[in-house]
Order: sequence, then C-alpha cells, then structure tokens
Amino acid sequence: MNDLVPVLIAAQAITAAVPLVLAGIGESIAQRAGVLNVGIEGLLLSGCIAGYAGAVLSGCAWCGLAAALIAGALLAAVFAGATVLMRLDQIVVGMAINLIAVGGSGSAWLVLQRSGHEALAAEAGFSRGLVPFVSAETQAWFAGLPLVGPWLFDQYALAGVTVLIAFAAWWVLRRTRAGLVVQALGDAPDACAANGIAVRRWRVVLVILAGALAGAAGAYLSIMRTHGFNPLMTGGMGFVILALVIFGRWRIDLLVLACLGFGVVDALQSHLQSRGLTAVVPYQVFQAAPFIVALLALTFMRRGISGPRMLGMPWPAER
Amino acid sequence: MMRSWIGGVLIALGAVALVLIAVLVVLGIAGHPPWTVLTTWFQGAAGSWTRLALSVQEAGPLLLTGLAAAVAFRCGVWNIGAEGQFLIGAVTAVAFGTVLLIPGPAWLVLPVIAVLAAASGAAWALVASGLDRWRGVPVVLSTILLNFIALAVVGMLVQGPLHDPATTAPQTALIADHLRLPALVDGTKLHLGVVVAFLIAVVLWLGLTRTTIGFEVEAVGLNPVAARLVGMPVAARQVLVMALSGGLAGFAGAAQVIGVTGMLSGSPVSYGYAGIAVAMLGRLHPLGIIAAALFLGMLSTGSRHLERRLAIPHDVGDVVQGLLVLAVLVAAAIAARRVLRPQGEEA
Repeated sequence: MNDLVPVLIAAQAITAAVPLVLAGIGESIAQRAGVLNVGIEGLLLSGCIAGYAGAVLSGCAWCGLAAALIAGALLAAVFAGATVLMRLDQIVVGMAINLIAVGGSGSAWLVLQRSGHEALAAEAGFSRGLVPFVSAETQAWFAGLPLVGPWLFDQYALAGVTVLIAFAAWWVLRRTRAGLVVQALGDAPDACAANGIAVRRWRVVLVILAGALAGAAGAYLSIMRTHGFNPLMTGGMGFVILALVIFGRWRIDLLVLACLGFGVVDALQSHLQSRGLTAVVPYQVFQAAPFIVALLALTFMRRGISGPRMLGMPWPAER
Repeated sequence: MMRSWIGGVLIALGAVALVLIAVLVVLGIAGHPPWTVLTTWFQGAAGSWTRLALSVQEAGPLLLTGLAAAVAFRCGVWNIGAEGQFLIGAVTAVAFGTVLLIPGPAWLVLPVIAVLAAASGAAWALVASGLDRWRGVPVVLSTILLNFIALAVVGMLVQGPLHDPATTAPQTALIADHLRLPALVDGTKLHLGVVVAFLIAVVLWLGLTRTTIGFEVEAVGLNPVAARLVGMPVAARQVLVMALSGGLAGFAGAAQVIGVTGMLSGSPVSYGYAGIAVAMLGRLHPLGIIAAALFLGMLSTGSRHLERRLAIPHDVGDVVQGLLVLAVLVAAAIAARRVLRPQGEEA
C-alpha cells in the first residue's frame, strides 16, 4: 500500500520542502523586520560545508549541525553588521556574502579533499529517521504504517523540528507582542524607535537568527539528505526561497503551503524523470523547472500585496 | 570635483590594501609566508608580457559585465542577471558562428554577430523589465531566477541543435575558422574584442557624464520620485538601462566565445557575478571599472598560478572578490561620515 504513487510523492515532497521552510522562516522574519538578505544562498552553502566539515572531522552528526548553525549565524552577523549597523546597501552586501560563501566553501572543500575527507562515514551523518535516539526497528515500524508511514515518519531528524519551529514562528508572529514588534520594524521603524524599541538591535538579532536557520537548512542538505558535499550543491535554492517568501506574502502559514506546493512539483518531476520522461523532454527542462515555477508564481500572484514598507531601506533614513 | 575623484580612488585603494592584508594574514596562519604568496601571485598575474596579456584578456569579460552591472546600478535598477545575459549572448554568437553561418567576409559578419548577441542579451534582460512593469515582479529576484533558466536553455541548445556531432561531450562545435579572432599576443588569446571593451568603457563614461540621458539615468538612480516630479521619463530610462546592461553582458559572452573559447560547454561562467564586484570596486564609474577589471583580471590569473605553485585553492579569489565589495562599501561609508560630519556625534 505504501508504494502507491501519491504516498511516495507526498513523502518526497515533504523531504524537499523541509530546507525551504527552515530557511524561508528565517528570511520571512528578517524581511518582515525590514531586512532583505539576498545572501541567503551563501548562508545555505555555508551551512552545507560547515555541517559537512563538522560532521566529518568530529565524527559526530550533531557537532556538524552545531557547526552549521554557527557558520550561518556568523555569516549573517557580518551581513547584519554591514547593513543594519553600517547602513550599507542590502542587495550589494548580500551578493558579496554569496561570493564569499562560494569561494570559502570551495576552498574548504578542496582542503578537506586533500586531507582525505571526501566521504562522510555512515555514523558521522544523520541516518534516516524522524526522531533521533530511537531504535532502527521502532523507526522502521512507524515508517511502515500503511498510507501515513512514508510521508509522516520516514523523514530526516530536522523535519519534525521544522514543524515545531514553523508552529512557534507562526504563533509568535501572530499572537505575541514580539510578533507585532517584528512587523512594526519593517513597516514603521521610526514609530518603533519613538516607542523605545531598539530598532537596530532587534534587526541584528533577527538577521542572525535567520542565518542560523539557513545554516541548519544547509546542514539538512549535506549531512542528512545527500550525505555528502559538492561545491554549488545549493544550486540557486536560496533564490527560490526568496521567491517563496514573497509568494507566501511574508506569512509563515502561507510560506509553508508554498514550500509544500513547491515540494510536490519537485517530487513530481523526479518521479517523471525516473519514469523515463527524459527520453521525450530534455532533462534541462527539469533542471530549470524550480526557477520557472518560482518566476511564474511571482508573475501570477495577486497584485497589490506589497511587502514590509521599509524592506531593504537602511534605518535611520538619514544621518 | 577634483577632490571627490581623488577620494574615490583612495577609497578603492584602501579597500584593496585592507583585503590583501587580511587574506595574506589568513594564508600566513595556514602556513604560506606572505612574501612568497605575494611574489608568486605577482609572477602569475604580471610576471612577463605574456602573463600580463593573459590578465588583460581575463579583464575583458570582467570589464564588460562590470559595466553592465554599473550602468544598471547607477540608475537604481538591480540587474543581477549579467550571468544569464552573458550566456544567452554567447550561445547566440555560437549559433551564428556554427549552424546558422551568415555568408560574407568576416569584417562584415563579426559586427553583425556582435550586434545580434548584444540584442539577445538585451532581450533576455528586458524579460525582467517587462515582468516588473506588467506584474510588479522585483527585478533583483527575476534577473537571478532568469540566470538559472538561461543556464538550462543554453544547456539544452548545447546538447541539442548546437551539439558537436564529433564528440559525446556536452559542447558545441567550434566556431568557423574565418570568424575566430586572431591572438594579439603570442601565447595568449588576447583578442580585438577586449580592445573594443575598453573603447566601450570610454564611450560609456562620456555618455553617462556628458549627455542629458546620462544625467537623467543618474537622477533616476538617486531619487526616482524627484526625477518623475521634474518630468523625467523614469520608466523609459529604467528600461533603456536594462537593455544597455543586458546588451553589454550579451556582447561580453559573444566576445568570449569568438575570441577565447571558440565554443560553449554549457557550464556556469561566473563572469556575471564577478561583474558586480568589478562594478562596486570601480565605484560604478566607467574609468574606475577599467582599473577594477584589470585588477580582478590579475587576481584571477594570479590566483590560478598560486594554485599551481603553492596549492592554494583558486576559490580564494572568489572570497577576495566578496571581501573587496564589502571593504569598498565600508571605506566609502567611513569616508562619507568623515566629510559630512566633522564633529562626530554618534547616533
């Protein structure tokens, strides 16, 4: 029963959506607070390499995840320092962050390869399994549950955490004063400042938090999903996330839906590819599909929804 | 006027010095003595006439993509799509140099191909302008997404209609011999297209600083609302700039395949993204960008030499590019604060 096509596609869609949701939540929050981080591609990549290096050097998967969180947060801290504190242009600094991450991860990868670390030992990475520390038999029993097993339980450790983070972020943004402050930071930073809210401190903290989430998403890609690293393995995923954030109108619930929809497209295309459709349609069509879908989504989404009013603007406006 | 010019140069030089020191320190900690790194790098970048010519050859595409970025950024149009526009221009040139051969002498056909390639790059860029005008899709995002789509389109053409039947490798056939540009210096592929790139930079400098349209482009970039209020055609200037930017990147792609590679293999080129670093280091000024492109061209050939001699990954060059962008922005911000606020009050 569990090899029904819809069940398999649902399982794959969720596997593909997890890193998008994880990094997308961070980017949504940062953008709501008025900071546009185009460097998210670089943050993801830094998470990939740091997670991989941490896991392969220490032999412990959790150390890899910790390294990825720290790498994402550090790179985001550089971005925050340059854009929020020094008021430099967010787009240009973001692209600089991308260049630094591409070069840095490429160099680190070469050094790792030369020291004979090009393969991740099985015990150094995360094995498949939603809840860590649970025996393989229990894991397999849950994954084998009819109809719901594959997509609900046959996922990687971060999938469950991502659901919790998504709920937490949604609740905080929707129901708490902190959520209101985040929104106000992006719409009316002057009013925030007048109410005694430290605009720049808030923004720095939120951007760094977003960086840590992107780092975790990177670790998901390298030490969970692909169990390895290759340069440019993010392949533009960060830019797709930027599109999903806009398509989700900077709301966590819509973002999750958008990411799941995107995951379904991704799962469908790999399913069609494995069914031999590449004989009819060139594989480059599949390669471009995520970006075409993202562009179409932005083109045909309802108009008149503008994002945070001060998105991308340095604050204070003049000094 | 004079002083702001000197200030700009000082800012760029300060940023370069800062980043070089930082990189040398890091490499020093990794066990490479700074003086050895510096001399090896310089040998690779400009150690002989041939090496210098190689650096200039490498500066050619960087100069064009740098100008492409700068023209757009000056007008406040965030065209991050030089990468894709470069590829589209390159594949157009390959198409007209292989399967769609235009009859006629090379001196007549090559300019036609250059114009076609520039036009295709411009058309690719204008997709982003169109989506912005029609549906409000942010240019900064659509141009990036279009880069990845362009890569797939080129990949499809390279393995499809343009594929070299003599090989199974994913690459196009070689451009017809009579359409290839001869090397100007032995041992390099420095070609006429690079010379044209430098001429274009000078023409752009004159156009941006000495004409009404150039002034309007600048004004729209500084404050589009104010520009509209004084009756400037804001949207028309933004579209013009996008077309010009895409055209420059497309021409860069054509020059690269006609002058250097002779074919296309469908892998990413990264000249487009590097162009952003060139534009920022050149402070968005065409003459500054000439200097920045030459420097980054030297950085590129030098870092490949470093990889061969000292086994330092050439990816370090990418890190240096990113750091240079940051350093230039920081230096400019510090300089602006010095000039604008002599008695420092802190916010």
